[in-house]
Amino acid sequence: MSAPAIPAARYPSGQAAASEQATAHGGPAARRIVVGYGFWLFILSDIVMFSVFFATYVVLLVGTANGPTPAALFDLRNTALETALLLLSSFCCGLASMAVERRNQLWTQITLAVTGLLGMGFILLEAREFAHMAAEGATPQRSAFLSAFFTLVGCHGLHVSLGLVWLATTMAQFLAKGFRQSMRNRFYCFSLFWHALDIIWIGIFTIVYLGGTMA
Amino acid sequence: MRFLGRLTWQAIPFDQPIPLLSGAFVVLVLIGIVVWVIVRGYLPYLWREWITSVDHKRIGVMYCVLGLVMLLRGFIDAIMMRSQQAIAYHAPGYLPPEHYDQIFSAHGTVMIFFGAMPLIIGLMNFAVPLQLGVRDVAFPTFNSVSLWLTASGALLVNASLVIGEFARTGWLPFPPLSEFKYLPSVGVDYYCWALEISGVGTLLTGINFVTTILKIRTYGMSYGRMPMFCWTALASNLLIIAAFPVLTATLAMVLLDRYLGFHFFSNDAGGNPMMFNNLIWAWGHPEVYILVLPAFGVFSEVVSTFSGKPLFGYRSMVIATMAICIISFTVWLHHFFTMGAGGDVNGVFGIATMIIAVPTGAKIFNWLFTMYGGRIRFTTPMLWSVAFMLTFVIGGMTGVLLALPPADFVVHNSLFLVAHFHNVIVGGTIFGVFAGITYWFPKAFGFRLDENWGKAAFWTAFLGFWLTFLPLYIAGLLGMTRRLQHYDVAAWHPWMIVSAFGVVVLIISAGCQVWQIVVSIRERDRLRDRTGDPWGAHTLEWATPSPPPSFNYPILPDVEGEDPYWGMKRKALQEALAENVHYAPVEVPRNSPTGFVTGFFATTIGFAMIWQIWWLAALGLLGAYAVFVRFAWWEISEVEIEEDEVARIAQSERPALEESLQAALAAEQTA
Amino acid sequence: MSDRDDIVPPGDTAPGDTGPEHPSFVEDLQTYSIGLLLAGGLTALSFWAATSHYIYLPAIPVALAALAIAQMGVHLVFFLHLTSAPDNTNNALALAFGLLIVSLIFFGSLWIMWHLNYNMHMHM
Repeated sequence: MSAPAIPAARYPSGQAAASEQATAHGGPAARRIVVGYGFWLFILSDIVMFSVFFATYVVLLVGTANGPTPAALFDLRNTALETALLLLSSFCCGLASMAVERRNQLWTQITLAVTGLLGMGFILLEAREFAHMAAEGATPQRSAFLSAFFTLVGCHGLHVSLGLVWLATTMAQFLAKGFRQSMRNRFYCFSLFWHALDIIWIGIFTIVYLGGTMA
Repeated sequence: MRFLGRLTWQAIPFDQPIPLLSGAFVVLVLIGIVVWVIVRGYLPYLWREWITSVDHKRIGVMYCVLGLVMLLRGFIDAIMMRSQQAIAYHAPGYLPPEHYDQIFSAHGTVMIFFGAMPLIIGLMNFAVPLQLGVRDVAFPTFNSVSLWLTASGALLVNASLVIGEFARTGWLPFPPLSEFKYLPSVGVDYYCWALEISGVGTLLTGINFVTTILKIRTYGMSYGRMPMFCWTALASNLLIIAAFPVLTATLAMVLLDRYLGFHFFSNDAGGNPMMFNNLIWAWGHPEVYILVLPAFGVFSEVVSTFSGKPLFGYRSMVIATMAICIISFTVWLHHFFTMGAGGDVNGVFGIATMIIAVPTGAKIFNWLFTMYGGRIRFTTPMLWSVAFMLTFVIGGMTGVLLALPPADFVVHNSLFLVAHFHNVIVGGTIFGVFAGITYWFPKAFGFRLDENWGKAAFWTAFLGFWLTFLPLYIAGLLGMTRRLQHYDVAAWHPWMIVSAFGVVVLIISAGCQVWQIVVSIRERDRLRDRTGDPWGAHTLEWATPSPPPSFNYPILPDVEGEDPYWGMKRKALQEALAENVHYAPVEVPRNSPTGFVTGFFATTIGFAMIWQIWWLAALGLLGAYAVFVRFAWWEISEVEIEEDEVARIAQSERPALEESLQAALAAEQTA
Repeated sequence: MSDRDDIVPPGDTAPGDTGPEHPSFVEDLQTYSIGLLLAGGLTALSFWAATSHYIYLPAIPVALAALAIAQMGVHLVFFLHLTSAPDNTNNALALAFGLLIVSLIFFGSLWIMWHLNYNMHMHM
């Protein structure tokens, strides 16, 4: 890959004639790469944290304390709907990536808005499910299984909610500051985050909901 | 809901003279320092140059200062414990049980989380970017945030001395004792919130350094040319990323149990207390490798430098380091062999624990072979290193003994175990920290530490350590359990007395350390480092003046094709001293109050949550969010240093670097 | 480090990154659409496998696990553009490390706790 001739003053290290040399053998990576990789590491650490909640959930699955069991509580149609919403939201985020890449403000805003709406739909369905369970007496204080369920699924929901706040901020920032590199870097981080949440949801609907109704 | 939640005047220990007086003393000293700083007009300088600094060198120094102060605090706890056990034979001692429980809990917590961790993170902060030949870490502002979150946790733990109490569970809050039902007081809450807050900081550090080491190295520095300290830093930070989320999740579950009545670890409603032990040790074991791996890296640098030879077996060292990194995540059950998992499980983890001794042994042999045939200079850092080799090997051997489940069943939770882990943590991490601080001190401050007082501190530490902990091995084999506030077995008493004498020697050592710093500052002109390379060392940081400018290198060195030992530093010096060097403006990250303000709000939130002052917690969260938004919105994160300024600084460096280059060339000839 | 992104050394991409040379609109859309279809299909299969009675009961957990892992892979490849190309090595290695840790924690905990529960008579 040949690098264009770069004025010395703009080169990251300030090194004048070494630009060709630099791309040939290393040197500090570009900011976009650094930010992306750092955020990727953060996502992986978040997934490790979720794996602790997953392990705890499976271990405490038998701890229903003569209370509500998974089979009794879970409504798979609701789960299917939630899954569809989140998956479509992820797809929409992909479309938003395409719009950002092409610096198209209108489509960026539209696709991000739809991403957000689908995400909000997910949260509403989940909140409704939680409220319904609580009303039936299936609160996290009732048994260890319920504590683990609410914590695992609730932690995911919390991440999605915070993601929605971040999404709104991102939309505002694109409007206010355009498509400069730093904004695009942050958007790459957001899309990584959003896709990772869908990956974790795959684990949740498989292990918690589908697994629960079979137990 | 009361206005101040659970906080009342009863929180202040008016009826307990020891915490009351010591707390009052510390508060007065702190107020005195703050007043002195303000009156002498140092505050603007401190704010501008240190508190809001995002420079890795400054942050590294601040981490080390925090760590050293907390090491002292933890040491005072240790003095109290040893003295109590020395006299509490058929006697109540001078520390009531509720108080003694808090002391051993605080001792472990403070030493590990706020003593050892900040010290090794401080060393990595200072040295890694310099060794990689770059200007700073990947995320400098996050680096500052990490520091201040750690400080926030330390502040909360120390506040518990004066306001409320600390946990009485030991340094790990095992349920069901740590559940609200059995310990409703704020002690466990202080512990959990302090560690959740500082844990976020540590995780950010892990991400920062792995990204830096993998993505931000100077030209031509391939993985095979990275200094050994950077490899161990990489392994340690990978472990931080892997392990700290486990701690965060587990303590969160304890908090949910305590605050919201969840049933993760309760005795009833289906809870499983053993799950806590499993999870906390899944973090806890990698944690001790996080602590020791950077120390191994320090020893690699120090031993190679003061033997005048390249490190023996670089590749095998790298492989051993990464092997330790991976295997350390497969041994955690050895901390609870006795909990009853059975022979199959115990056997597998026992074998894995023994396996991890092998790469460590390989490293010891490599250090020995590095020394063999070299021209050894027994400077203070080298003394710490040799003592480490002796001490750590013995500690490691007792570890292999403990790795056998049948043997562990006899000595689990006895003083034998206590002696073992102090043997490896002190012999490994602490000796490494002191070696590293002495080694890099001139680079940071421009003058060396006084050799004589350094040696005095070393010898008293070495002697004091063994005098303190060898008796504990013996008492453990004689059946003495850990954490005893009093005991009635005659056979243990003499060993407790000997151990107390060992602590007296350690007190002298601590005094020597402090005096070493005082003397060194007073006589800094005599100890001045004029060339930037007082030791004749061979990594890139020694090709800079002492202290380096804020941007480290006016021109990033190109080390392509150079062998790591002789070539890199020489070439970096030659490049810096070349005739017609073209300087360009350098971008440096701008100072930012983000870290300090984040720490402030974190402390507020933590304190409010501990005492259940909900409105204050909400306010703190709002404030933290506002800080975050402001930082996210802020655009100008970098400042440009003009090329004239860069050239001027580079010019002023020339004499020192010239002298350093001459010395390096001469050494290369005679090697 | 400046904002310039056209001086990336060859051999380096971040996850979620299509690199400085963008694929065409059609290619891009194709990638995401195929990902959506595959993921949707795998999801539907999972739900079907768990609720229908076609699959041998003890085999269902294995089937669900396989489908879940496959779908996670679809996300990683089609949405996050994680490939086995040499410029993705660091990203793939980080993922492998993360997966190792997750496996150790998850399966390790289950194995340990099962034995502990059995031996300590934790019949909750």
